[in-house]
This record gives sequence, structure tokens and C-alpha cells, in this order.
Amino acid sequence: MESGENPGRERVLGRIRSALKAPAAHHDSVAGDRPIFRVVTDPLERFQSECANNATECILVADADSAREALRSVLASVPSGEVYVEDASLPHRLLKELDGGHSVRWSSEGPPSESSQATVTTAECLVASHGSVLMTSSNGGRGASVVAPVHIVVATEAQLAPDLSAALARVKQSGVAERNSSLFLITGSSRTADIEKILVLGAHGPRRLVVILIRNPK
Amino acid sequence: MTTAAREFLRSATRETANLPARRAIRHAVDQYDAALERGRTQFLDWEAARQKCYEIKWEALNHLDRYLLEFEERVKARGGQVFWAETAEEARGYVAEVASRCGVRTVVKSKSMVTEEIHLTPALEKLGIRVFETDLGEFIMQLRNEPPFHIVTPAMHLTRSDIAKLFHEKLADAMTSGAAGDDPPELVAAARRALRQAFFSAEMGITGANFLVADAGMIAITTNEGNDRLGTALPRIHVAIAGIEKVIPRMGDLATLWPVLATAGTGQTITCYNTLIGGPRAPGEIDGPEEFHVVLLDNGRTDLLADAEQREVLHCVRCGSCLNACPVFRTVGGHAYHTTYSGPIGSVLTPHLRGLNEFQHLSYASSLCGACSSVCPVKIDLHHHLLHNRRNAVHEGDRPWQERIGFRMWRWAMSGSRRFAVMGWLGRSASRILQWLKLGGTRLDPLRPWTKYRAAPVIPRKSFRAMWRESGER
Repeated sequence: MESGENPGRERVLGRIRSALKAPAAHHDSVAGDRPIFRVVTDPLERFQSECANNATECILVADADSAREALRSVLASVPSGEVYVEDASLPHRLLKELDGGHSVRWSSEGPPSESSQATVTTAECLVASHGSVLMTSSNGGRGASVVAPVHIVVATEAQLAPDLSAALARVKQSGVAERNSSLFLITGSSRTADIEKILVLGAHGPRRLVVILIRNPK
Repeated sequence: MTTAAREFLRSATRETANLPARRAIRHAVDQYDAALERGRTQFLDWEAARQKCYEIKWEALNHLDRYLLEFEERVKARGGQVFWAETAEEARGYVAEVASRCGVRTVVKSKSMVTEEIHLTPALEKLGIRVFETDLGEFIMQLRNEPPFHIVTPAMHLTRSDIAKLFHEKLADAMTSGAAGDDPPELVAAARRALRQAFFSAEMGITGANFLVADAGMIAITTNEGNDRLGTALPRIHVAIAGIEKVIPRMGDLATLWPVLATAGTGQTITCYNTLIGGPRAPGEIDGPEEFHVVLLDNGRTDLLADAEQREVLHCVRCGSCLNACPVFRTVGGHAYHTTYSGPIGSVLTPHLRGLNEFQHLSYASSLCGACSSVCPVKIDLHHHLLHNRRNAVHEGDRPWQERIGFRMWRWAMSGSRRFAVMGWLGRSASRILQWLKLGGTRLDPLRPWTKYRAAPVIPRKSFRAMWRESGER
């Protein structure tokens, strides 16, 4: 939009600039580098305990074979129907064939349909301090992590960042934030406590968030 | 007294006697307090976290033009559009224009106080557009045709049976047939079913923004339900509306702001969905809207910015913790204020956004206990700003002439010991006569606003000075 179509732009900017001519009340910068959070010493252990707190099902497996097994058993509990899978190398390796009445829809075929029963995606990284999964729109698109009632993330231990600072620095410096139209930090499954502060899982997004964490994917 | 002040007093009196609502508020705040204590344990140093947030917001606000321009440039580089609205009317007009141009018939909205502030929904409904609030609490309030009761917990004052009754009445189709219960999971499932169709058929998603990240050119949205995620993934158009004060310098700032917002807002260590969006669907991406618009709203904020003394009020991240801590809010609730923003932050902010004269009474909706300032995660000195507003109302606004004369007399009486003694004697005698005539608390009692609900203390015959003198002689 040209600024000519938005005369408010110059007016608002002008008002801001004249407002800021009055210097702000002084403040003492005392925060400095006082540590705010505890240092994460063991990211893997911390990630697992945070997942337990926020109702993420974290399944730690040794290698790709056990990951395949874990994925199969999670999907066995999902009602038959479409499973939407991010078209990336790790899901391809883990998901050769499907049984239990599931059909695979790869993300390269378009966004997940409304009736998807589960989605399987990778992640950009995992955040140990909060038990979170950091995803981008490249991980199967914007809808992949919210449309279906079950969201399964496959990730490797090497993707663990100790805390939010490290995770955000990683996506900023690597250009990931630049390349993707959106980033999603997901911690646990969709929830609400709007009725009498009673926690209910599965508000609009998934009821279950499962992370299959592979220690050595090779 | 202004109309707004009369309305506030009337509603506050009524709501103070509304015991079921007060029980519900009490319950919600108790739950919040317990969660807050747990959430704070994630911080090694909560005070350092507050100070850090204060400094982030201070930096942003005191270089607001620079960071907004940086944000705008980056959003545009990704193909998004940025519209600067000086007034609520301009903001509404812009959204309506985009909606008309794109033939929008259904809108899904995420929770956003700024859209309440500019009364966006009625403006869109006037164009024949169906607007769905998708946050559960907001959805409940929309069905009740009421504004949100609390910034973060819109339906805080309702019990599950209130909500069950409402759903049976208005959402009969989505309620499981035969189920008459008020089981929260069943109510949540009904809302999910009712809104699911709206998400998949809406042409436009409207959200607010918790932060505008300048160095990334992205808006940050925080929800627990994931309704923002569906609303920004499925519809063809995404419009985000945010006050200009929402900008922060760096993406890395979120490493502190996200956990602090979550803990202050609900006691969580972090909210479930923290979303960053920088533009429409990018080439090669699977889904997402074709158009992305950000409306930057002034609507009186630059006037507050120009007030160096109170500029920090714009630091507010709308976490609602000052409402939860406030003894006045806890008693009268959010609707008594008749303002978009209630509680301490609303009492400070509203006179700036909607006129000092009309809303100066809110500066007195406080016991000045300072609980609000002590919990504010961005360290806004809220109760002192209430005092600043009181002072400004005396200097610039219309205060009643009786008050001016009263204070003049008070000053005169206080500035001489003999005068003070005489006035004290007069006051004591008058109060004794009133009590003797049994007029205390009646319309003839000048202290009626106080004595209407309280027994007046018995005023001793002797003044403190007299007693002091006597004790010295002994």
C-alpha cells in the first residue's frame, strides 16, 4: 500500500515523534545480566520432565527402528481415516506402510483435510526448559499442528535446545525465521480453563501431542 | 458527577451485593493465585525478570517510531500490508474495506482487547458479516451479548451451570442430545463442534497481537486453545490489529516476555501456543492466507506517549494480573467499570483514551493499597498513576466547586494551630449533635457516603491535643 492511501501513517508518526521530544522519566537499569532462569544442565532430562508437566507424551527411543515401532503403536490407538504426514525424509523413513485402516496424505499433496485423524510432522527444534516444540510453516504447513485431534512430532536428540533464548537465536541466525512466513512454539496440547478455571484438553487444536524423540536416528 | 461516574457507582453497588458472581470471582482468583505461585518457581529471580521486561518495553516505547518503521518494512518485504490508523474509526473502516473487497461473509476472531476497544464486531455485523469469537470465554460472552468481564478470563464470573444453560439454549445442535449435564469437557466439546464449521468456512481471520517483533517483522500471538492457529491457517485473509505500543525490538526478547506473560496471565510457565507470523503464505508453502494485513492503532496512545510521567503505562502487556490482585475489582467485577479495560490498568488508562473529565472517577476506584503495582510484570507504578490522574483532574478537569472550597477551608484550618483546634471542636460537636439527633447515615449527614454502610465511630469529647496536654501535666 502506498503511503498516499494511508494519510494516517504520517500523522501517527508525526505524533509519535513530537511525543518523544519530552524525555521519559529516568529509569535505573539494574537488570543488567542478572540471571532470570535456572541454567538447564541436562536438556534431555529437563525436556522429559517438562513434557510430563504439560501433558505432552514424550516417547524416548534409541534408534529409527524403535521410532518406527513407537509411531506404529501410537497410530494404532488413532481411529481409522486419513493421517496427514509431512513430506520429509525422517517421516518417510519411519512410515513405510500403514495399517489399521489409515491412509496417508503427504503434505506435498496439499493441506490436511478437515477430517484428518492425526498428523505426523518433524520440528525445527525442541526447547528443553519448557518442554516445547518449535515448528515453522515448512513443517507440513500452518494447519499440520492444529487441525487433527492427534499431533505426532518426530525429532532427534540433536534438535534439543536448552532454553528459549537458544532456540530463538537458532531460528534467527540460521535464517529460518526469514524463510518461513510463520513460526510456532507449541507446549502441550490445546487447552482451556475458561469454565471455572477447570483444565480441559483439546479445545480447538489437538487433544494429544506426542513427541517421539530419537536419540540416534542413524 | 458525570454519567459514567453515576453508572459506575450504581453498578458497583449492585455488583457488591451479587454474591454468586463474587463467589465465582473469588474461586477464579484463588485458583489463579495458587497457579501463580507454581508458575513463578520457574524463575530464579522474578524481580530480575520484571526489570528485564520493563527495560525491553522502555527501549521500545522511547524509540517507538524507529521500531515501528523497522517492523513495517519487514512485513512489507514479505508481502504483508501495514495500515496506520489514527482513530478507531479509521481502523474499523480499513477492516471493513478489506472485507468488502474480498467478499467476506464469515469472520473467525481470536481474543483481542483492541478489537473490543474499537468496537469492530458491530461494525462488521452491520455489513452483514457473521463474526465468530473463537476463544471459549469470548464465545460464551458473545452468546450472552456481553463484553468480556476480564482481560484474560472473559467469563470469569460465570459458573458451569450458567454456561450449560446458555449452551442448551443457544447451541442446542452442538450439545450432545439428551445430555443435560454441566460437565466442562462436554461444554468445551460443544463449543468446539459449533466453531469447527466456522473455522473451515470463514474467509477472514482476525487476531490481535501480543507483540510486534521489529527485528523479525512478525506479530506474536499467544493462546492456549490454538484458536488463533486455526484462524490464521485456514481463512484466505488474515487481519491483525494491534496498538502501536505492542512493538518490541528483538525476537530474543520473547525468551523473557513469553514466560513472564504466561506466568502473570494464568500462572503457566508458558502458554500452549505462541505463534509468530510475518506475512501471507510464502511461495512454496502448503497453506496459509493469501493476504496478511496489520493495522497499527493509535486511538489516543500518542497522547499518553507525550506524557513523559505516565508513558510507562503503555508498557502494559494485558496479562490481567493487576485485576486479579485488586480488592476493588475482586468486589465489583469487570462489568461495573463500563469500560473496555477494567481493574487498575483500566482505571489508569481509560481517562487517557476516553477523556479525563468523563472518567476521572476511576482514579478513586482504588484503595491505593499498591497490590497492582507490586504484581505488574512490567513494573508499571499503577497506583501512583492513579494519583497522577487525580492531580491532573484537579488541575485540568472540572472538579465540583464544593470540593475546591472544602480544600481551601481545610488548608486554611490546617495552617494555624488555633484554627485547627477551633475546627476540630466544631467537627466533634457537629458529629455528636448528629448522633444525638439520630441523623447519622441519613441524607442530612455530610459523611453519608461513608456512614450509609458503616457505623460511625463515637467521637471522643476531648481532642488529642487536650489529652496530650493533660497527660503531660500528670
